[in-house]
Amino acid sequence: MRLPVYLLLSLLPCLVSAAEVDRAKAFGNPSAPLTIELFSDFQCPSCRALHMQQLPSIMRDYVTPGKAYLIYKEFPLPMHQHAREAAAYACASARIGKYEQVADALFQSQPVWEEKGNVFQAVASVLSPADQKKVQTLAKDPSVLSEVERDMQEGQLERVNQTPTMLIIRNGKKYPIGGMLNYDLLKRFLDELISK
Amino acid sequence: MNSFRSKVVSALLLLVRLALGAVFVYAAWVKLREPWLLFAMSIDAYQVLPQWAVLTVARTLPWLELALGILLFAGRWRRLSSVAASALLMLFFSLMVRAYIRGQTIDCGCFGPGEAISPLTLLRDGSLLAGALLLTILSFRRPGGLRTPPQPAGGALVPANAVERGDHSA
Repeated sequence: MRLPVYLLLSLLPCLVSAAEVDRAKAFGNPSAPLTIELFSDFQCPSCRALHMQQLPSIMRDYVTPGKAYLIYKEFPLPMHQHAREAAAYACASARIGKYEQVADALFQSQPVWEEKGNVFQAVASVLSPADQKKVQTLAKDPSVLSEVERDMQEGQLERVNQTPTMLIIRNGKKYPIGGMLNYDLLKRFLDELISK
Repeated sequence: MNSFRSKVVSALLLLVRLALGAVFVYAAWVKLREPWLLFAMSIDAYQVLPQWAVLTVARTLPWLELALGILLFAGRWRRLSSVAASALLMLFFSLMVRAYIRGQTIDCGCFGPGEAISPLTLLRDGSLLAGALLLTILSFRRPGGLRTPPQPAGGALVPANAVERGDHSA
């Protein structure tokens, strides 16, 4: 009888650290009526478009007013050569509270590093020299790499088969929305979900 | 020999018709149980319709699919339902191929949200289209094919509508 209890207790530190990591990549009020999990790949052009065009509106209309809790999830696709490296840098920068800045920089300069492969140059452009060193070290840390892996496994469990995919969660029910989207329609949908 | 062939064609007709009917009913059910705006977003992603048309199609298409599925399953208005199924699947398939060629990373929208257009979805929808076309062709032919039926002795003609009625049971 005691064995399951010990097992649960031994898993507790892992759960706590996972929750902390998630918070570093999450924005808004955790008890908001909606949760939006965004599975994204830094090297995917549609993810870039979503990040630069629709995400600011989502942040303004839902995340900032406390209507939605946004959680970033890494989903680097195997066909994108530098996506996993970019995801590792992003997760590493989350550990020092710079996820948003680094994600912005990675998407902004995606066409450049995608071609030349100099991912860290994009990351470094928004970090101080001290932070650059920390991020470079953290990006090789097994816990950061396993965080990327965990996000990917989570995506596979949710049957994410393209990027970007938004998983809108309301009262435990999940609604997946894949690919590029029309913000007017998304807004109508989110408003309808909130009013339920 | 001819009778055996007729039976095979009839069995094939029945099988394809029931399968297509089930697929249409399932596709409708999946869309109707989810919020209709999710389907609207899938349609909009194809970037072929203005927003008012997207909203209209999102509200009505699942019901059309349901009606078509029931008609196919029940075997009513066979020619009409098989032509409608072929036309609808032809439209879906062309739009999917267009999106795939253009490199659009979008949801197929075929059976609810969360299914990206891929070679697999194209193969599946292409097979459905082939089935619907086969059903349409067979629905306009009598079970024995297009060969002239053997004329009864004495040269009495078989009424034309007996061949073209297409209401053979399947």
